[in-house]
Amino acid sequence: MHDSAPPRLPLALLGLLLSRSERGEVLADVREEHAARLARDGPAAARRWLWRQALGSAPALLGWSWWREWSGFEPPANAYNPGGAMLRSWITDAQYAARRLRARPGYVLLAALTLGLGVGGTSAVFGITRGLLFDPLPYPHEREVGVFWKKSDWSEEEFQYVRGRFPGFRDVARYRHVNLRLQQEDAPMRLLPGITASAELFDVLGTQPLLGRAFRAGDDVTGAEPVIVLSYGLWQELGADPGILETSLALEGRSHRVIGVMPRGFWFPDPTVGLWTPLPPNENPTIFNSTLVGRVAAGQDLRALQQPVAQLTTMLDERFNYPPQFDKAVDARVTPIREDLFGRMRPALLATLASMALILLIACANVAALMIGQVHARTGELATRFALGANRRRLTQQLVIEAMLIAVVAGALGTALAWSGFRLLARALPLGPWTGVSTPDWTVFATGMVIAFAASLLVVLIPTLSLWRGELRGALSSARTGGLQGRGGRMEGGLVVAEVALAVLIASGAALLGRSVTKLYALDPGLQPESVGVVDVMLPGGFTRQRQRLEELTGALAALPGVRSAGAVQTLPLGGGGYRTTLVVEGRTDLDGVYTEYRIVTPGYLETLGFQLLAGRTITPGDRGDGERVVVINQAFAETYFPNTDPLGRLVGGDADAAAVVVGVVANAAERLLTDAAVPVRYVAAAQMGWLEQPQSLVLKADAGVDPLALLEDARRAVQSAAPDVAVRRTTTLSRVLAESVGPARQVMSLLSLLSGLALTLGAVGVYGVIAHFAARRRREWALRVALGLPASGAVTHVFRRGARLVVFGIALGVGVAAGLAGLLSPLLYEVRALDPIAFAGAAAALLAVGLFAAFVPARRAGVIDPAIVLREP
Amino acid sequence: VSRTRTVDAAPLGAFEEQIMVAVLRTGDEAYGMGVRREIERVTARELTIGAVYATLDRLEAKGLLASTRRAGGSATRRVFSLTPAGARALEDTRVMRERLWDGIDFRSLLARARR
Repeated sequence: MHDSAPPRLPLALLGLLLSRSERGEVLADVREEHAARLARDGPAAARRWLWRQALGSAPALLGWSWWREWSGFEPPANAYNPGGAMLRSWITDAQYAARRLRARPGYVLLAALTLGLGVGGTSAVFGITRGLLFDPLPYPHEREVGVFWKKSDWSEEEFQYVRGRFPGFRDVARYRHVNLRLQQEDAPMRLLPGITASAELFDVLGTQPLLGRAFRAGDDVTGAEPVIVLSYGLWQELGADPGILETSLALEGRSHRVIGVMPRGFWFPDPTVGLWTPLPPNENPTIFNSTLVGRVAAGQDLRALQQPVAQLTTMLDERFNYPPQFDKAVDARVTPIREDLFGRMRPALLATLASMALILLIACANVAALMIGQVHARTGELATRFALGANRRRLTQQLVIEAMLIAVVAGALGTALAWSGFRLLARALPLGPWTGVSTPDWTVFATGMVIAFAASLLVVLIPTLSLWRGELRGALSSARTGGLQGRGGRMEGGLVVAEVALAVLIASGAALLGRSVTKLYALDPGLQPESVGVVDVMLPGGFTRQRQRLEELTGALAALPGVRSAGAVQTLPLGGGGYRTTLVVEGRTDLDGVYTEYRIVTPGYLETLGFQLLAGRTITPGDRGDGERVVVINQAFAETYFPNTDPLGRLVGGDADAAAVVVGVVANAAERLLTDAAVPVRYVAAAQMGWLEQPQSLVLKADAGVDPLALLEDARRAVQSAAPDVAVRRTTTLSRVLAESVGPARQVMSLLSLLSGLALTLGAVGVYGVIAHFAARRRREWALRVALGLPASGAVTHVFRRGARLVVFGIALGVGVAAGLAGLLSPLLYEVRALDPIAFAGAAAALLAVGLFAAFVPARRAGVIDPAIVLREP
Repeated sequence: VSRTRTVDAAPLGAFEEQIMVAVLRTGDEAYGMGVRREIERVTARELTIGAVYATLDRLEAKGLLASTRRAGGSATRRVFSLTPAGARALEDTRVMRERLWDGIDFRSLLARARR
C-alpha cells in the first residue's frame, strides 16, 4: 500500500545527518518503529512522528558528529572500521587543498586575480545600479503612480480646470522645479534646489513624513501662510533638531514655516531636491511650466488608461484653443513613474551591468581552463588514488574545496577592488542626479562573496565534468606508457570558444557605442565650446534691479584677468531646454499660432560662445532701452521667414516683445539638443527688454592658453563680491554641457571600451593558456614525430591551426549572439543601426588579431622541441 | 585516536541517568531504539532518537557504557551494557540523590498544589 511506506524526505534528512557507520542501523530502527506506529496510530500520526523525529534530532545529531570529529571517538563496535564521518573527509580535503594551493602561489594568484576582477566589477556595478534598477521607489505602491505626457508642459489654467475630476485618477498633483535662496544668520546665501507643488503632491506619492505633516488642502491657496517640507538630508544639514518644526526659514526673503521632515531615503523627483513648498496660485496661469503626476485608485492598472486619457484630452480641447504645436492630444499617455525617472538611464546601466557580468563569465572560463590544466597535471596522482579506492565523489569534493578556497581569496580581492573603485565607477556611470547617492556598504561585501562562490561553483563544474568523463583509467595506463596522450582537451576548446564569443559581445557593444558617439561629436553645434566657462546665477529683486545686476556681473566677469569676453543668456544652448514665444513678422499674415525659440542676451554673449556672424552685426552695448529695438536672427529663421530676401532692416516681433529691426544674421547653433535639427531662433537685447527669466547663465571666454575651469572659482568669487545677494547655482564649462548633451552613450562608451580592453586581455590569456597546455600535452608526441623526421614547422602549424580554429569559431558564435542582442543597445545609438557591419567587423578583427597572436606564441614554442631532451624526461 | 576516555568524576546528568537506567532495564534490547522506547514508556514523554544515540555514544566515550554488535532485526545492532565504571557512576548518582532528599518533607506543599 502506498501509505505504508515511510515518507522519504524525513528519512533522507536523517540519513544526511547521520555518520555513515551509523546510518543503516538507525534508519532500519526508525523504519521499524514507524511501521509499529503505523499499525497502532494510523498513517497520519506515524508520518507526523517521523517528521518530529527527523527535525527534532537535527541539533543533537549535528552536535554529535561535531563532537565525534573533535574528540576522535570511534566505538569499537563500529559497523565497519574504518568509517569516518563526512565532516572528517571535508576537513582533511581542506587541509590538503590548502597545502596544495600554498605550493602553487602563482596559480592561486592568477586564478584569484582573474576571478576577483570579475567579482569586484560586477558587485560594484550592481551596488551602484541596484538602487535605480532593482530597489523599490520610495513611494508605496509605485505601480499606481504615473507622470502625464510632457510633449509640452502643463499650465496652471489647465490644471485648475480639471483639478479634482481627472478621469481615472484618485489624485493628481502639479509640480515644478524651483531654486530657493536660503538666508541664514552669518552664512553666505545658499541656493537650495526644491520643488513647488500643488497640495495633492504627498497624497499622490503616498509617503508619510517622519516629523510633522505633509501638505494639506488649503496650503496652496491665495493668502495661505508659506510653509515648507524638508528632506531628511537637508534637515540633517540644518542641525537635525526635531524642534525645527514650527520654526521658520528665510527663503527668497520670505519667512517659511517648517511643517514637516520627510523620512530618510525619500526623494522626489530626484535626490538633489531638498525641500518641497506649496505652489502659489495665479502666479502665471497661462505659462506651460509644470509637470503633472497622478495616482490611480488602488489595484488599477496604469497601462489601461487609454480611455480616461482620451476623455481628458477631449475635456481640455473643449475648454482651450491649442495651437498645433501644443496640442495636448498628441502623444497623450501616462508613463509609470519608474520609467519616467529612470527610463533614459536604464539601457546604459543595464548595458554596463551586463558587460561586467560578461567579464565575470570570461574570468570564470579562464579559471576553469586553468583548473582543467591543474587536473590534467595531476592525472597521474588522481588515477593512482582512483586505483587505490578513492571514488569520484571524493575527488570532486577535493576540486570543490579547492575552488572554494580560491573563491575566498577572489571574493576578498574582488570586494577590496569594488570598495576602492566604487566612487570612481559611480562617477563614470550616467547616473545624472543619482551620482553619489549610493555609497559602498556591507552589501557590496556580501554581493562580492556570493558572486565569488557562485562563480567558483560554475568554474568547478567544468573540470568536474572532465573528471567524470572517466579518462582516469586511460590516464593511468598512458602514464605508464610514457605520457603519450591521444585526444582530449575538447572541454578546454569549448571554454576558449565561449571566452572569445563573450569578448566579441563586449567589444561589438563598445564598437557600436563608439561609432555612435563619434557621429555625435562630429555634429557641428555651431558654437566654439572650447575655453568657455559658465556660471548660473539667480538674481534677486525686481526686474530693474535684476537688469542692473546682470550688467554689473557681466562687467565684473569681463574684467577678470584671463577673460577675453563675457555675456549672459536665460537659456544656454545644448541643454535641451527651450523658451518659445509667438511670432509676428512684418508683411506676413500667415503666422498665427507660430511659436519660435527666443533668447534674451547681453552684448558679448554671441561673441563669447563663438556664434558665426553671417551678415550685419551682433548686439552691442549701444543697444539700450531708449534706442531702436534690435534683434539678431539665425540662418534657419532667415531661410524660413525671409526666403530669397535680405532680412536686414525688416521688423520682427511677437506677444512678448515689441517689433524690433533685424540687425544681424548668425549661423545656426544647437539651441536645443545636439541631435535636433536647426530651428528658427531670435536673439534680443536684455537692455531693451521689459522682463528677464531666471536663472541666468553668465558665460565667459578664457584667453588662449587659460583653462576655463581654473577661471571658474575666480568668477564665482567675482560674482559674490560684486553682488552678495546673488546665489550661484552651478559653475561648469560649455565643453561639459556639450558632453552632457552627447548623453549617457558617451559615458557608457568609455566604460565599455575599458571593459572590452579587459575582455580582450582575459580572452588572450585564456587562448594562450589553453593552447600552451594543448602543446605541452603533446610534447612527447611531437618529439617522437620530429625524431622520426617531421619538420619542426609541422608542429607549429598544427598547434597554431588548432588555436586559430577555436578563435574563429568563437568569433563567429560571438558575432551571431551579438547581432541578436544588439537591439538592446538601440536606445543609446545615434545614426548607427544596431546591426552596424562596421562595428561588428571591427570587434571581430580586434579579437582575431589578439586571439591569433595569443595562439601563435605557444605554437612557436612548440616548434623548438629537442627530441633528445623531451624523450628522456621521466 | 581518542582523547577523552577517562571516567568523568562528575555525577550523571538527569538525561544520562535515565539512559543508563533504561539500558539496565532493557537488558538484551539495549539498542538505541529500544532504550528510547523504554524511556518513553515509563516517562510518557516523546524523545528524539538523535538525542538518545548521541548520549549513548558519549556515555560510551566516557567509559560508562560499552557496546557490542549483535544481530537483530534487519541489520546488526549496537547493543549497550553498563561497564563497572558505569555501574559505579550510577550508584554514586543515586547515593548523592538520596542524600539530597534526606529529611525533605513537603507533603503539605504538595497537598496544597493538588487542591
